[in-house]
Amino acid sequence: MLRTEINELLTQTGPGTPMGELFRRYWQPVLLAEELPENDCPPVRAKILSERLIAFRDSEGRYGLMDEFCAHRGVSLWFARNEQGGLRCPYHGWKYDVTGQAIEVPSEPETSNFCANVKLKSYPMVKLGDVLWAYLGDPEKQPPLPEWEFVTVPEGHAFTSKRLQECNWLQALEGGIDSSHVSFLHSGNLDSDPLFKGSKGNQYNKGDLKPFFEVVDYEGGLLIGARRNAEENHYYWRVTPWVLPNFTMVPPRGDHPVHGHFWVPIDDEHCWAYSFDYHPTRHLTDVEVAAMRAGMGVHSENDAAYRPVANKDNDYLMDREAQRRGETFSGIRGIALQDSSIQESMGPIVDRTKERLVATDAGIIKARQKLRKSALALQEGVEPVGNRPQDQKVRSVAIVLPADQAFVEGIGEAMIAKPGVPQTTV
Amino acid sequence: MPRQLSVPAGVSACAVATTAKEAAFRIDYPLAAARNTRVVALDADAESIVRAAAAEEWGQARFYSTTDPGHELVTMDGDAVDLAGELEDSNTVVMVSTNGQNAEAAATIGAACKVRGIMTAGLVVTPGQLTSEALVALRPHARILLVPAEPDDLTELLRATRA
Repeated sequence: MLRTEINELLTQTGPGTPMGELFRRYWQPVLLAEELPENDCPPVRAKILSERLIAFRDSEGRYGLMDEFCAHRGVSLWFARNEQGGLRCPYHGWKYDVTGQAIEVPSEPETSNFCANVKLKSYPMVKLGDVLWAYLGDPEKQPPLPEWEFVTVPEGHAFTSKRLQECNWLQALEGGIDSSHVSFLHSGNLDSDPLFKGSKGNQYNKGDLKPFFEVVDYEGGLLIGARRNAEENHYYWRVTPWVLPNFTMVPPRGDHPVHGHFWVPIDDEHCWAYSFDYHPTRHLTDVEVAAMRAGMGVHSENDAAYRPVANKDNDYLMDREAQRRGETFSGIRGIALQDSSIQESMGPIVDRTKERLVATDAGIIKARQKLRKSALALQEGVEPVGNRPQDQKVRSVAIVLPADQAFVEGIGEAMIAKPGVPQTTV
Repeated sequence: MPRQLSVPAGVSACAVATTAKEAAFRIDYPLAAARNTRVVALDADAESIVRAAAAEEWGQARFYSTTDPGHELVTMDGDAVDLAGELEDSNTVVMVSTNGQNAEAAATIGAACKVRGIMTAGLVVTPGQLTSEALVALRPHARILLVPAEPDDLTELLRATRA
């Protein structure tokens, strides 16, 4: 249960809100790189943190992210022409470069300095891996560029997708932290999904449906360890890192690629789920990439606007017969849509004053506490964690350890991403 | 057979049911009784944390310590009580440890909870330490552990679970 004012504090991320200011201390995914595939390609609307922005790639390959609307008459620059080093409003021809600076105002005399004083609000945007990242905060507080392993592995080792989720970002994030739902909601997928099946860990998963949990507070966020019985005097641990504010990784299974998510607020009632898969030491196979493109694993089958084909308008293509046959636990196909459907059903912003948490929700309780404290501390001038390279070089882990060993001790450096070193997995 | 990509969206369909507007029609009624939680301190420093939490207003939570060598369960007022009796109506027990003392008491409480189907949680209040004697003492008997917990995690956990 949360008081209304704390629920509002955690779920509102627009400019000037405490959580919004916290988010503005981090580089955030704003588009997939495939959305701006070539120089002078069409501009793309990119709403994030309740700010309507336009993104484009100019004639020299530079990326721009700025206020969506022309400074002249407020026309959406989505209608603009991307030409010769800038974005030109089709209404009266005002043209902007990637910094938002007006570089041509055709109605002014040729020698006029008028356009020097016209600049749209703009933010830095860079391509790392398959993702375009933006920083919307105070330029003087800009952190180093992201060093998440999925964007630093060699080309061909990673695949990233995104999908629209029609609810507040925190509902989606909490699903990523909540390991205990996997035994139910996703239970039909361990044996059937090509990106999960066949691992020894799956046997432990299915052999012990009542895991114990340890929630470890570490510098960048939390490590949520789920422990199940393994061979005698040993436990099978699945360790999920959460890094502030909105990054989670799923523990690996066998030699399958490792996957995880960013949950990026679009506005207070919608978010993007950026979902990635990567392998630290090998290329993804054609079969794996085909499965990801087909919406298997943590990915989804989407329309051209990245909205899942199965969505709230068609009741997520609920298949009661598949549910009855046990092929899916909830009747919804695919892990991503199983999560989306459940979380969207809670409403755009769930009323957390009405919830009935249990002790095994301690990871969620702790994450909310850390978010709240970080947002409030930032107002007092205390800079947050999670935006430093050392926080981002993190891995999820699946491992079998002796029963008397603390999992943080047992995994040691396995949770630290190191180039060329394989993930620790069972 | 190709999957059906659209179905008629009736008034009960997700598209309607999940909107903010529709949230106004969710039935509004008081939630049932709070969780019936017992909180047990296992050492002297843990007792001061539990005592501070006990001073706040709670639904049905009750607070104890078992810090003496005989592992007797006592209330915050110092009255010795019977474990079985105190667990009678409980559905959650939270054990708090800072140094691993009284591991036997944790084992006794854990075993009593197990046979009664009572959820157990543990707070390992060892700031800055990821591994500790307290962790070793609590781990076998707590279905969920917070490691290392801060002193205010106890009140956070109790509030969040409506204790």
